[in-house]
Amino acid sequence: MKQRVLAAGLIALTTLCVQAQKLTIENVQKVALRNSDAIKEGTEVKGYYFFYVSDKIDKRTNEYTLQITDNNLKKLKDIKFQDSKDVTILESSFNGTDLIFLFYNEDARTFEYQVYGADGKKKHVYNRELTKKEKRYLAMSYLAVDDEEQTYKGLYPIEGRGFISNMPSREDRDYTFQVDYFSSEKRKQWTFTPTEGGKKLIGDYLGTYNGVVYFEVLKYGGAFDGKPDSYLLGLDLETGRQLFENPTDNAKYRFYPASMSVVSGKAVIFGEYYDPNGNVAKDKSLGFAFIMVDEKGKVVGEKYCSWDLEMGKYLDVSSKGKIADFGYMFVHNIIQTADGSVFAIGEGYKKVASGLGIAANILTGGRGGIASIKIKVTDMILLKFDKDFNIKEAKIYDKNSNSVELPNGYGTVSGPLLGKMVKYTFGEFDYSYSQVNKDNTSFTVCYSDYERGKNYKGGTFNSITYNEGKITTDKIQTKSDASRTAVLPGKQGQVLIMDYYRKAKRLDVHFEKLN
Amino acid sequence: MRTVRANLILCLLLCVIHLPVIAQLQPVYSFQQDDTVLRKNYYDQTIKKKELLLASVGKEYAKDYKAIYDDQFKEIGGFWKSSRAVTSPGIYNYLQSVVQNIISVNPELKGTDARIVFTRDWWPNAVSMGDGSVAINAGLFIFMSSEAELAFIICHELAHYYLGHTPEKIKKYVETINSDAYQAELKRIAKTTYGAGGQLEAFAKSTAFGSHRHSRESEAAADKQAYLFLKRTGYDIGAIRSALEMLDRIDDTSVYKPLNLAQVFNTKEYPFRKKWIEKESAIFAQVNDNSSFTAQEKDSLKTHPDCTKRIALLADSINAATGGKKFMVNENLFSQLKKDLFLEITEECYRAKNLSRNLYYSLLLLQAEENKDIAVYSIARCLNDLFDKQKNHKLGTAVDTESKSFPEDYNLLLRMLERIRLDEMAGLNYAFCNEHAAVMKDFPGFDKELIKAKKSKDQ
Repeated sequence: MKQRVLAAGLIALTTLCVQAQKLTIENVQKVALRNSDAIKEGTEVKGYYFFYVSDKIDKRTNEYTLQITDNNLKKLKDIKFQDSKDVTILESSFNGTDLIFLFYNEDARTFEYQVYGADGKKKHVYNRELTKKEKRYLAMSYLAVDDEEQTYKGLYPIEGRGFISNMPSREDRDYTFQVDYFSSEKRKQWTFTPTEGGKKLIGDYLGTYNGVVYFEVLKYGGAFDGKPDSYLLGLDLETGRQLFENPTDNAKYRFYPASMSVVSGKAVIFGEYYDPNGNVAKDKSLGFAFIMVDEKGKVVGEKYCSWDLEMGKYLDVSSKGKIADFGYMFVHNIIQTADGSVFAIGEGYKKVASGLGIAANILTGGRGGIASIKIKVTDMILLKFDKDFNIKEAKIYDKNSNSVELPNGYGTVSGPLLGKMVKYTFGEFDYSYSQVNKDNTSFTVCYSDYERGKNYKGGTFNSITYNEGKITTDKIQTKSDASRTAVLPGKQGQVLIMDYYRKAKRLDVHFEKLN
Repeated sequence: MRTVRANLILCLLLCVIHLPVIAQLQPVYSFQQDDTVLRKNYYDQTIKKKELLLASVGKEYAKDYKAIYDDQFKEIGGFWKSSRAVTSPGIYNYLQSVVQNIISVNPELKGTDARIVFTRDWWPNAVSMGDGSVAINAGLFIFMSSEAELAFIICHELAHYYLGHTPEKIKKYVETINSDAYQAELKRIAKTTYGAGGQLEAFAKSTAFGSHRHSRESEAAADKQAYLFLKRTGYDIGAIRSALEMLDRIDDTSVYKPLNLAQVFNTKEYPFRKKWIEKESAIFAQVNDNSSFTAQEKDSLKTHPDCTKRIALLADSINAATGGKKFMVNENLFSQLKKDLFLEITEECYRAKNLSRNLYYSLLLLQAEENKDIAVYSIARCLNDLFDKQKNHKLGTAVDTESKSFPEDYNLLLRMLERIRLDEMAGLNYAFCNEHAAVMKDFPGFDKELIKAKKSKDQ
């Protein structure tokens, strides 16, 4: 949504002059912004792109201008080309030297990956044709969600070498995922699409280390399978050949990897773990697990931190994994810093009675359409583990709670499952995004809040920043004398603030540091 | 230097004066005390000039003329109301002596109402605003090597005014945009369904090219007239060549040696941190802005293009001239004013809340050990202000961001300001103040900055 604000702002700028009575070059010029976004190297913003239709060539063809700026919004290059009127940009990424854009032609059902070198010239083009089945599946998944966290999006940089793409796909009877590697060094590509015969598979890119591309794979038996099997998949970066696919469960626990980093030359996979007989969709997790694996996917070390024993020392956790006043914890991200410490970033939520739902049900005899239970999204939490993965600190960061009314029938859904619904179905968590700098000495967690104070009433953009061992918090008030203010991701530890003054028809754009 | 670029400059000025100008001046040094009566007088003359101009345009296109004059005079009026114009007697009188050396020997200029002043602006330019107001920026003056070069720059701006280039350009613009041919072409393009963008771009380029050509012609005409004005003064005609050569290379020239950040911000208490200025990966890192341009295109990107062509056009006249003085008013005062005006630029950046430039110039002074006590005070004050700005998320409104058009050492400072964290800024300033505390103990206002820096560090 915020990207649309950016687009609206820029369009406002280009249309300021459309008031004159006689014709001027400015009011004859018609430019339509189609896409804009930040270009990132991992989580670091390295620039921005603005993709707009600069001319109509014929009934089916447009002239496009792709403007690329640096991370100070200074123009680096305008790329002009003609293509079908149905072309949009879906993703971009930067791998430290080269830049990639994914163009989508909806009508022709084609993806085109264009790679640009450090010299600004187009180096390689990779094409992919979608089947009708694939297009339908992507429309429900990859193309349906356009959020700040880039859920379902995945074009991951491999420093100086290329990019890994991951997106949902259809193959035979499977609802699966497709991994592509696009080299930026030379024209080289491989594709990997797992099939199981009628299953649903979800792949989540964890990282690449020592020539191995690591994926977490969930295999569902059916649409309502609450106990998907979890696997750690390893692919050869050079060839795309499957090196291993090992279950992440063991006799004691069911483990679901969420992220990965490299510690002392070993890939360490982090995530929550569950009772082996439990239902991941409904049951609470037992805690956090840290699993070290080698290039063959073999587990060479592991550490489990349970809610009850380890984390209970720092938090008032009930046996159901519920933290007093905070509710359940939804883990948004897990980050490892240069000194080996690991931080889990979470947000609280709990079920509370809904006055509106109760009243509606009384008045309508239970046919009110609103559940008697609602979700209250509570505070942010940061859990710190040391380099040996022992929990060392847990801190709750207060924010104003907000409520999510639930449709009738949702009141009986378990707490952990509701967390996933708040995240993916309702999109009501306040967490925005996290950014980590390249050497992992610093990271920033950003989230929004709302204040109702004496001196200020309005939205705030908040941050929790870790920098070389110190944690600081900051807050930017987003209600100002501007008609509209938008806060967008900027360079690591910075945000891009856009203040639009309607009366003066002025757009002030400035980067601000999060302290 | 060019009247035709007045609009561009005015836009630039607009950007600068949009920043809140809330001066909280401490007695840093005895800055030039402006003659506010003179400034008000000049402002009044500007307003009268506008009324005269508006009365002189006929009914045809009156609305267009009014819109242009409103914009133009808003900027000029703003200029005379601001603290940018230097009207303090010492500097003003010196400049008027040079101006009089020109006017007194050129009958064409007798009785001119030109109002010529130095400004405190940092960017290297001079401009004839079209109503007789002429600004010689301190940012240009500090690069001059002789009074004769200053005289040539004044002659050039007076020539623009004498030849009526601004009103001529406005007239040409108004007549062009109202011409049947121009409107018919735009109408045709507006009705075109396909390829309208390309046609419009070509049309805009062709009309812009006409404007650039006109601009070059104006510059050549002003140079020619300036030569005639200067020739009668007794100043060295060779200054035309040296002034134009100076303008040609001004984008790559610095008055002071490049800033060594790691040295000026390195204290025992708070050592400089390399990570503040380390280079990071960047998109299109190998693209050299100018690599794909022809020599002509590269030249057109300069602040002052076409200088070699301008020299060539006057070469015969310059070569034929002999004698002439480099200084006729006061050489020592000329040299002193260059130093004083650098301080004025530095302080004006602070007044205009362009804190990154204020810090940059203050650090250059410190490194050069010139007006060192003023520089130390100015740096401490600026870092305290930067701390407040950063704390209140307003830093982005007071500092520039890196640009390929800026000197490399300024870009490094900007990178540092972008990366340094709030607690580091406080620690750095406190250590900096402590390092100079003994020498600065009697400097007015320094103790307050030291206390403020300590308070910030302890927060």
